[in-house]
This record gives sequence, C-alpha cells and structure tokens, in this order.
Amino acid sequence: MNSPLTHPAPTTTLRPTDLAGVRDAVRDTPGRIAVAGAGSAAGWAGALEPVDAVLDVSGLSGVITHNPGDMTVSAHAGTPLRALVEELSEHGQHVCIDAARIADGATLGGLVATGDAGPAALVHGTLRDLVIGVTVVLADATVARSGGHVIKNVAGYDLAKLLHGSHGTLGVIAEVVLRLHPVPQRTATLVVDAPLARAAEIAARVLEGPFEPAALEWVSDGSGRLLVRVEGTDEALPARVSRLREVLGGASATDIVSGERHSHPTTSGESAVRSEDPWLRHAELTRGTPDAAVLRIGAKPSVLPGLVSELAPAAATVGLGTGVATLSLAPDAVADAHRRVHAVGGTSQLRARPPGADAPAWGPPPSALPVLQALKHALDPDGRFGPGRFSPWM
Amino acid sequence: MALDTAVRAAFERVLDPRDVLSDPVKCRAYECDGLTGYRVRPDLVLLPRDAAQVAAAVRVCHEHGVPFVARGAGTGLSGGALPVADGVVISVARLKSVLEVDPVNRRAVVQPGVTNLEITAAAAPHGLYYAPDPSSQQVCTIGGNVAENSGGAHCLKYGFTTNHVLSCEVVLADGSVVTLGTDTGEQAGPDLRGVFLGSEGTLGITTAVTVRLLRAPESVRTLLADFPSIAAAGDVVSDIVAAGIVPAAVEMMDTLAIEAAEEAVHAGYTVGVPAALVVELDGPVEECDAQFELVKAICEEHGCTRLHIAGSPEERAKIWKGRKAAFAAVGRISPDYFVQDGVVPRTRLAEVLDRIAGMGEEAGLRVANVFHAGDGNLHPLVLYSAAAGETERAEELSGAIAELCVEMGGSLSGEHGIGTDKACSMPKMFGEEDLATMHRVRAAFDPDGICNPGKVLPTPRLCGERPGKYKPHPLEESGAIERL
Repeated sequence: MNSPLTHPAPTTTLRPTDLAGVRDAVRDTPGRIAVAGAGSAAGWAGALEPVDAVLDVSGLSGVITHNPGDMTVSAHAGTPLRALVEELSEHGQHVCIDAARIADGATLGGLVATGDAGPAALVHGTLRDLVIGVTVVLADATVARSGGHVIKNVAGYDLAKLLHGSHGTLGVIAEVVLRLHPVPQRTATLVVDAPLARAAEIAARVLEGPFEPAALEWVSDGSGRLLVRVEGTDEALPARVSRLREVLGGASATDIVSGERHSHPTTSGESAVRSEDPWLRHAELTRGTPDAAVLRIGAKPSVLPGLVSELAPAAATVGLGTGVATLSLAPDAVADAHRRVHAVGGTSQLRARPPGADAPAWGPPPSALPVLQALKHALDPDGRFGPGRFSPWM
Repeated sequence: MALDTAVRAAFERVLDPRDVLSDPVKCRAYECDGLTGYRVRPDLVLLPRDAAQVAAAVRVCHEHGVPFVARGAGTGLSGGALPVADGVVISVARLKSVLEVDPVNRRAVVQPGVTNLEITAAAAPHGLYYAPDPSSQQVCTIGGNVAENSGGAHCLKYGFTTNHVLSCEVVLADGSVVTLGTDTGEQAGPDLRGVFLGSEGTLGITTAVTVRLLRAPESVRTLLADFPSIAAAGDVVSDIVAAGIVPAAVEMMDTLAIEAAEEAVHAGYTVGVPAALVVELDGPVEECDAQFELVKAICEEHGCTRLHIAGSPEERAKIWKGRKAAFAAVGRISPDYFVQDGVVPRTRLAEVLDRIAGMGEEAGLRVANVFHAGDGNLHPLVLYSAAAGETERAEELSGAIAELCVEMGGSLSGEHGIGTDKACSMPKMFGEEDLATMHRVRAAFDPDGICNPGKVLPTPRLCGERPGKYKPHPLEESGAIERL
C-alpha cells in the first residue's frame, strides 16, 4: 500500500546518500526518528507515533559489489529490489523473494525490516534466509556489521536476523549482503479452480509427491484457485508438468517466462499480455483493497485452511505449504482474528489498514517479550527509532 | 575457588542428587570437547532429566551467580563447550526423546540431546528427512547444531541449521523459559530464533527444537572425478555454478586427503591424483538426469582423468564414506593434526589453496585439504608430530590459515564455530563497534554474563589484550567497503 504516514508531518526529512550520511544524520539529529524507504509498507505494523525527523534512505541506492562467480551481492538498503533483480538478471541470477510489493518499488532494507516475503518462501524462505551480511546504524550512531560476503559463515551473532521484522525499531539498515540463486530456465504455473478445502487436499498430494513445487498458493477473490508453480530446465520441465497435471486432475497450465514476476505492467500492451499471469492477481490480492485491513498470519499448514475459512476474508492468498496467509478483513474483525490465530498457536500482524481505522497491529505478545524489550533497550535505550511500531508490546 | 556447599545443595534440591556430579574423576570426563587442547575441569556436572530440571538448574545458577556451560555430545571442534572454572556443566545428554514427528506439516519436535541422524531416522518412515548433515551427524546432537548453526555437505543447496529450525524452547540466563520462533517460521517482530541460532550457548540453553523436514528427493546422482590439478577441479565447480546448476553437494579433496581416506576406508579413490571432486545432484528425476549429463560434460572439458559414477546406493554410500571419514583418516598418515575451518569466496579457492601450500612449506608442515568446495568452506588439516615438538608451529600455522581466509574476504568459521579457539581472532574479522554491538545483544539476553562466558567474543582475560582494537577489514583495504 502506498498509504501516507498517518501522523502529523515531522519537522525534518533527512536524505543521506551514503553510509556516512546515515551515521551523521542519526548522530546530529536529536529526538525520535522514523526510517522511510519507498513507502510501500509505511502503514504496516503499529501506527507510527509523532517523530522529530524522517530518515529517508531511498538515496542510498545501488549495488556495492556483485560477485557473479560467488553468487553474492551487496547493495545499499534503499535499492529497489526490482532494480536489483533487473541488474542481476544479466548474469542469470536473482534474489529468491517475490513479495507482492516489490512491484511497488519496495527497497531491500524495507523488505528486511518488514520481514516480507512471497510465494517463493516455500523453497527459499524469507529474506532472513537469504541475507548473509548487514550494516546497521544504531541510535547512538554506532555503525555495526555482522555476517560477511560468504554464504557459509558462523562467526559472531547474526544481527541481520534480529533486524528482520524489526520494522525500523532497532537500527537503520544501511547495507545488505545477499546470497543469490540462478534464474531457472523455465517456469510453469498450473491453475486449478477449487474451493479452499479441496485445494488443500490437492496441495497435500502435491507435497507428498516428488514434484518439488516452487510455490503453492490458493487465491480467492470470490472464487478460489490453486496455483502450483514449478521451475526447472527447458529440457526437463515439460515432462514434470505433465506428471503434475495428472495429480491435479486436469489443470490448465500457463507458461511464464522467468523473471517476469517482479515486473509491474506499465503499458496497456504489457498489461494485456500479463493479465494471464496468475501471479499478478496473487500480488494484487496480497496487497489488499483500500477499504480493508490486511492481516498476515502464520499457522501450521494443517490448521491454516480451517482458520482462514473461519475468518471469512473478503480476499485471501494462502500458502498451503508455507502456512502463511494474507487476508483482507473488515477493520473491526481484526482484534478477534488475532485472538483466533493465537489460539491455534499461530502468529499475526497487521499490514495495511484503511485511513482512520483503529485495528490492533499485534496479537497477544510472545513469551520472549522481555527479551525483545531488553534488546530494544540495549540497542536504542532512548526509544528513538520507530515509536509506536510495536505498540502495545513496547 | 570451588563452588561452596550451599550451591551444591541448591542443585541437589532441584535435581536428583545422583545427577549432580562432583567427583573430580567423573567431572574430568567433561573437561573438554572435540578441541582437546583446551581443558578445564568443572566443579560440578549436572545431568538434568527434563526441560523443567534444566530450567531449575539455571535458576540456581542465576541466584548464585554461577556460570554454566551447556553440553551436548561434546563433538564441537572449537572449544565451545569448554567448561568454566568455578562453573558448572549442564549436560543435555539425557534429553534425547523425539517428542513428535508431524508428517502432515513436515516437521518434528525433538529434545536437544537427539542426534542429527536420529531425526532423519525418525522421519524416514514418512519419506522425509532433516537436511543439514554435519560429518559428525551420527553422534552430534541437535542442541549442539542449534548452538553452532551447523552445516555439512548438503548445505549449499539446502541451507544451514538456521534455515531448518522453526522454533526453539529456550531457558534464558535467569531460568525463564521462552519460545523463540513459531510453527511456520513466520515472525511477528524481530527474528530472535535467528540470532539465538549459532550463538554458541552464550544466549541460553535450548530444551526443545522444532525442525522442518523435507521430502526425500526422487532421484540422487553422485559422481567421483579425478583432476590433474586443484585449479582444474576449481574451474569445474565454477562452471557448474555458471551453468545455473545448484548441486546438492560439491566436495573437494587433495592428494593427502585422498591418500588418507583411501587407506582408511577403501572407497575407490585414486591415490596420487592432485584433486578429486565428489558431485551430487538430487531432485525430480528428469531435472536430475539432464543436469547430471551437463556436469559430466563439464568435468570432461576440464581434463578429468577418471569419472566414476555411483551405480547403486551402496556405491554412493562408499564414496561418501570416504569423504566423511577423511578427517579421522588423516590420523593414519600423521601422528597429530589440527582441523581448521575457514571460508573464502568460492572464486578464490585455487589462490587460497596455493597460499596455504606455501605457508605449509615455510612452516615445514604438511597440510591436507578436504572441503565443501561449493560454498568455499575449507578444512585444512595441519599435520604435525607433538613428539617431534611441532605443536606450537602447527597451532600457529592453523591460526594463520584462518586469518588468511578473512584476508581473502571470507570468514573465520563456516561450521565449527568461534568458541574458545578463535575468539581472539574475532578482531581480525570485525571492528570494535561490531563487537561492541554483539556484546550489547549478549547482555540483553544475559545481563550477568553467566551463559558460556569467554566464548565467541574476545575478552581481555582470554586473549591477554584489550579486545576490539581497530584493524581494517580486508574489504576496506580493497576499497570494496568503507569504514566510518
């Protein structure tokens, strides 16, 4: 969602263009600071309380080092992921994340800070699984690095993980190092029209078999469809698709050229071609509608379909293998949804909400809340960064 | 100073007194882990029988300010489970139940004393397995894997322990019990599970682990290929990657490692060749077959002198037996050896191995190499004879090799951890502010510093110098990154 910040306009906007500038901005600016990137998740998590300054990192953009042979890249946090993927594609490589808002310009740092991910999480996990190094500026202007430029590395604490999902409350992410994967030669998606319960049965059969789906999502905006994505070589994929089609009971299949799922239709011609891409619809439904609250939930795959049915969302994308779903709900249904998800051992967090809506961002606190609070105090003792984002937890 | 009797009595109130070992002879069995050069006899060893007893024991430590070291099977190679003088060892060896295997959700819940291979054994009847596979997987425990964020041969494709642990039940330094992570890995807030994994026991003790299980691949293809040089074998690895193939494993061995492994297990390796690769692909049969043909062609293009394809599961097992036995096998060609564990960018493998060979020559010591080539994780084995007075020289060479890896833009450790062994080298890799930030994280979990003190982060006591003195990172020197 491109929703504007909902608090009174801050007095200062800081736009550093390099790491030194971020450090100086944090050191020389007193008071409370919000970190901003492309703004594609500005309204996510708890509503931001008034701040004294906004630190806009979108000027920190671009690749720092790309080592194609090592399949690693380091980039500034304000780099739009779409731009990064485009640059890497020349080398036949990509970052294995397909979060819906990448098409809206979401930045690398923002994707880490919000813990966002898309259907590819089934195989590759979230960015926390792809980040191998990070540089962060803390509230006292300390510049700290952890990890490095090699994929196998256990030296020191993995601070990138701590920043993943921190919503800008622990530090300003300035640089990120990622592991890359080869772009598959061919991608195909099989589509089956099915209500959720039946889609879940089919998904279970797919997961029990040797098909190694790259994504397995049910989408609904009234009627439901199961999307099964497989990736592989030009030579071998057709035979796999044909085996999979038998298990699905006669699905229609859409061949999609690799790399397009990060693209955003910009011209009517492109739009017409890509309207057949079911993943664009998936991304739209994940973003939600302007009048709905969008809740991201996670639960065991076996309980997720029942939970989603119970919550009766207006629109939904449901990862039947990942156990992660994104639901469009009426704002006044959010508090109850948090409780229901928690009751089955799941987690939930609010993403977008309509302007003025008063939906709670978080469900019951985790058992480790005292540790979270201690970490916040250790890294940002004066509570400078992102006030309100984790309200009422901290 | 020994722990006073009041503390011992406190432990005996929360554990069965028979599970509180204080006999110096019995405690001596816990004085080191796999890094036997460092030894400290603990005052007490505690053998709790369940998670509640672990928490109760930690609460006693917290109340009395007693440092504790958690211990699994003791197979660590970096001194991560080295006891602390005037402290206690809390062994989780008795917490060895597989609590749940959930094939529908493809996950298992296990206690920390369960071995890595036992998880796969429990999952196998459902066609599932646990992916991270350290070479010590028959004996190392999942609790230790969590502490060290362990890897193994198949981690290039499938990721490391951190990518497969969904949640941990953890006893914190104050004895409180929390769950880090969730059933799905989806987080609501910062990823505490992620920072706990690989923290080498300095942030708490895990008492239950929920792991992700994977479907066993439909097809597995394995080959063993000999090459006329390390560089040629290295080029094969680069070309496989450039072809867009992510192998399940790519392992490299040099002449000395091949000789040792062959002598030990007769795996069919060619003694005398400069380099051998073990390449394994897995996945759907169509993909696997197509890519395997490509890998064979790449091997041949680079002057492969022998290409042996495993024709049966037994042959495949034999090839792997040679690779996995290589460390121990080195004992057959040298009275003593140090195992080093460093990582370099894959593209610099040949250069680093050249440098290592030169350093070995200069020190007058042989270095055998057997390593995970796909992810640049080297395991140079420095061969020496303690009887001939070579220990100190070998130690120095081993340390210099680890630091060379950092100089090459790599890491001090890929899978064995920093522990006691390399804490003093951490300033070679990280600056003062980096280490100070890690100290702040540690203190948030453990304000009194009683969880495995002296490990991972350098301390003046440990290193005999003030930690964190600034030295430029090699990437800074090369101009790739900037220090502020």
